[in-house]
Amino acid sequence: MATQQVEAGAAGHGAEPRGKRGEDGQATYLIAIAEALWEEMERDDRVFMLGEDIGVYGGAFKVTEGFIDRFGPERVMDTPIAEETIVGMSVGAAMEGLRPVAEFQYADFMSSGFDEITTVLSRYHYRAGVPLPVVLRGPSGGGVRASSFHSINPEPWYAYAGGIKIMCPAFPSDAKGLLKSAIRDDNPSLFLEHKWIYRRIKEQVSEDPELLVPIGSADVKREGSDVSIITYGAMVHKALEAADALARRGISAEIVDLRTVYPLDEETILRSIEKTSRALVLYESYRFLGIGTEVAAVIAEKAFEHLDAPVVRLAPPNVPVPFSPPLEDAFLPQIADIEAAVDRLAGW
Amino acid sequence: MTSIQMPQLGETIVEGTILKWLKREGDAVARDEPLFEISTDKVDTEVPSPVAGTVTKILVDEGATVPVGTALMEISEAGGAASGDAASGGAASSSASGAAPSSDAVAAPSTGAASSEGSSAAPPAAPVAPAAPVAPAAPAVAPAVAAVGTMPDRGPRSQILSPLVRRLAKEHDLDLAQIAGTGSGGRITKADVMAVISSGGQVASATAGATAPATAPAQPMPAPSAGIGEEIVPVSHIRRAIAEHMLASTQTSARAWTMVEVNVDHLVKLRERIKATFQDRYGVKITYLPMVVRATVDALLEYPDVNARLDGDNIVRHRFVNMGIAVSYDAGLIVPVIKGADGMNTIGVARAIADLAARARSHQLRPDEVQGATFTITNPGPYGSVASVPIINQPNVGILSFDAIVKRPVVIDDAIAIRSMVNISMSWDHRVIDGELATRFLARVKENLETWDFAEDLGV
Amino acid sequence: MPVPAWLIRPGTVPYDVANAVMHRLAERRLADEIPDTVILLEHPPVFTAGRRAKADELLWSPDEVEARGGLVRMIDRGGSFTFHGPGQLVGYPILGLGSRPDAVDYLRRLEEAVIGICADIGVASERRADVQTGVWVGDDKICAIGVRLMRARVTLHGFALNCETDLSWFRGIVACGLPDRGQTSLSDQLGRRVGVADVLPLAERHLAEVFDLAFEPAPREIVTAFQVADAV
Repeated sequence: MATQQVEAGAAGHGAEPRGKRGEDGQATYLIAIAEALWEEMERDDRVFMLGEDIGVYGGAFKVTEGFIDRFGPERVMDTPIAEETIVGMSVGAAMEGLRPVAEFQYADFMSSGFDEITTVLSRYHYRAGVPLPVVLRGPSGGGVRASSFHSINPEPWYAYAGGIKIMCPAFPSDAKGLLKSAIRDDNPSLFLEHKWIYRRIKEQVSEDPELLVPIGSADVKREGSDVSIITYGAMVHKALEAADALARRGISAEIVDLRTVYPLDEETILRSIEKTSRALVLYESYRFLGIGTEVAAVIAEKAFEHLDAPVVRLAPPNVPVPFSPPLEDAFLPQIADIEAAVDRLAGW
Repeated sequence: MTSIQMPQLGETIVEGTILKWLKREGDAVARDEPLFEISTDKVDTEVPSPVAGTVTKILVDEGATVPVGTALMEISEAGGAASGDAASGGAASSSASGAAPSSDAVAAPSTGAASSEGSSAAPPAAPVAPAAPVAPAAPAVAPAVAAVGTMPDRGPRSQILSPLVRRLAKEHDLDLAQIAGTGSGGRITKADVMAVISSGGQVASATAGATAPATAPAQPMPAPSAGIGEEIVPVSHIRRAIAEHMLASTQTSARAWTMVEVNVDHLVKLRERIKATFQDRYGVKITYLPMVVRATVDALLEYPDVNARLDGDNIVRHRFVNMGIAVSYDAGLIVPVIKGADGMNTIGVARAIADLAARARSHQLRPDEVQGATFTITNPGPYGSVASVPIINQPNVGILSFDAIVKRPVVIDDAIAIRSMVNISMSWDHRVIDGELATRFLARVKENLETWDFAEDLGV
Repeated sequence: MPVPAWLIRPGTVPYDVANAVMHRLAERRLADEIPDTVILLEHPPVFTAGRRAKADELLWSPDEVEARGGLVRMIDRGGSFTFHGPGQLVGYPILGLGSRPDAVDYLRRLEEAVIGICADIGVASERRADVQTGVWVGDDKICAIGVRLMRARVTLHGFALNCETDLSWFRGIVACGLPDRGQTSLSDQLGRRVGVADVLPLAERHLAEVFDLAFEPAPREIVTAFQVADAV
């Protein structure tokens, strides 16, 4: 696929107008997400949206600009700043047969509704046999100088609950197809949109409203033979750049984009390891107990006899995301770090 | 405790800068493993450790510039690891140890050249084809080892077998001890194993060149009666002695054979030039055989395992060379011995050969002159053969055959030239030495013949 | 007595490939698996930066370099920026200097060999201890020399003699960290075309002489290692 890095706005924080698709038909990650929401709202009347500033204001990142004019205030509902209530309302609405899509202005704020998500939403089907087709979505991730309140990668917290499907796409097509699948899925889902990617990555995205990407399927974004880099989110783009640099030095890296982090597509991961025999698990959630920890364990347990080197993880330390730019750069894995980790693996 | 100092990399270099420490206090280090990177005004390099052990103290910071000789770090050595070898891991010690595995490499690091002594208990058979030489054994700081106790010690990480490597070896029935690892520290990598698999598996560890099957000792035959078209010739005692010796040899030694081609163009030209003068001055003819003897003596002193015999469970290496020279005469074959050939120059060898051959042919050799050879050379060349597979003269470990010198087209600098070439080969006893050593030995003989200036040694 | 050595002349080889093979051969030389080896070749345009190179000594941006068809590489030798390209004879002697190496002596011999090559062609050149290692014609450098040792005893990298190099490439860097010095080439000095092919046999002879080597061609699989296409 041809993707491009597009000029980004300052810190991805809010006030720019939503761009249209370019003349070449390419859509940014953000537009692709907006298209998915729009198409699903049109397709199924039971789908409605709620969140802070999504209606009149059009959303903090302008994802839902223009929606309220088309779908009305009952289906594009502005809420108070009350995340626990937002989740609770979604649970209730879903019980009554509606299909709510709740936007969180920053994924960091979801933790205000932590109990409602983990105790109620994730377990309700188990307790009462009633499916809750709720989608929680919002911008996650760092690298945009937004510091620790606006840069979290919360997926490990909610994966732990078990019972919520969690998606972290890296490309516009994947984002559109996965969000549609999440809205149509009867299980609760968490759809995390990495804010660094919003306006930086664009590509050709299908206009077919029935084109879905299956939840729980990983995708090989770059074929290689010497080492597998298993990753997701913004790190996929760093890995791709690192792979170019490595290729110039004769090391061929295969990049597996998880796309869904819970449940994991073990088959695709293991198939890659069988091919290359070396695994680097690259992830932006914290190193200790982040998503990559689970991936590494699966590889070590199920691909042991295919390994020619130990499984290595590369992820930020468990500290608050720094505000100072040099500190944030030191916190996040950079291309040089990825290259160095691959070099160590290749030379083991 | 070893103190590591800022090395002097050149006579006018007086100081160096530590760019980066590659080891920290407490790290283990193997012999010749890089310790730190330095930069001087002429050249940069990493500096290897002369010993195996643990880094106990780092005395200078990264980025500091210090005079040559300044103490930089202290290493406390692993027990008994200090081998007498120079830090350069020079050719002599490493090539001699290349053939010798030590099955308890995990425990005591083997000390360089001496490790082959007494290792006659089933050394892993190396493939006989002269393949790429194995990296020489470094005295090991043995890391955690896979439960393969018979892996040869080919580097500090040569004992590490990854799960993938072990599985592939099992699936394809490979002997990992035969695979040289090209990974860091000598580790056998996936690529190493895949290379063996895709090239069709390993060479069977049988020796090259058929060993004569052991036959039952000959029963005395009833005296035959001559039929039409047959002539009966009773076996002379010499013939019988030769027959017994030859058969016993093939039943005793695990014989293998290796050959090298040698460019002796300059020797042919030399001989042409000096033969008249030599004859005049010394009273004997100069042939190529004395030169081959001299070249071989040097190689024997360099590779004492070839100048040895097997005595029960011991390999007895001789520190002198008694060179047996196979001589053909009317009664058959006899091998007079040049005693102390290692102390002779080419003139002396030429004289000795002439003398012994003459007295052999006239049946005037004394018994002690046909005993005690430590190595043997045969020279069927004058009779026209270009390659021969001689039988080892027991109890030697090898016998070298020097065949006919023939002008042949050869490729030099991508052009075809005519050179005098000769095949020099050796039958050798695989119980005592392995293919790699045999090949290196012959390569040394070849090198000597191709590069030595014999004119001086011949006094002309 | 001259020591047998391998001579490899693989033609034009991309820098990364040659650098990787050179390092592998040096490891094997360290292990005494192969004899002393000399590689004589040419590179497609590349700027290499040694340990002392400063970022502002690259005067063209990496994009500009790429647009001109060149590469930039940071490598493990000492020294600053230099340029390799068509028309320049690059030599990588991989020699074992023994356990007590004299790097200064080695550099001096390299300079001597190059001075001998230039003399045979008809160009008078010299070493300039007052400036920098290398071979000079007046204030202009005709041959850059930059060396590294592996494990303090096997030589890496070597020399780059301008035969008919396009010297305008040197405007992209502060060559060798010396802003006030220029470059020259054999063709430049003589006013007629002198190519790498003309210089190769002289290089063989002079290197054999100063290092006391008897060259023979290397085994085929060593030579073909240089011909493996770059992985990209």
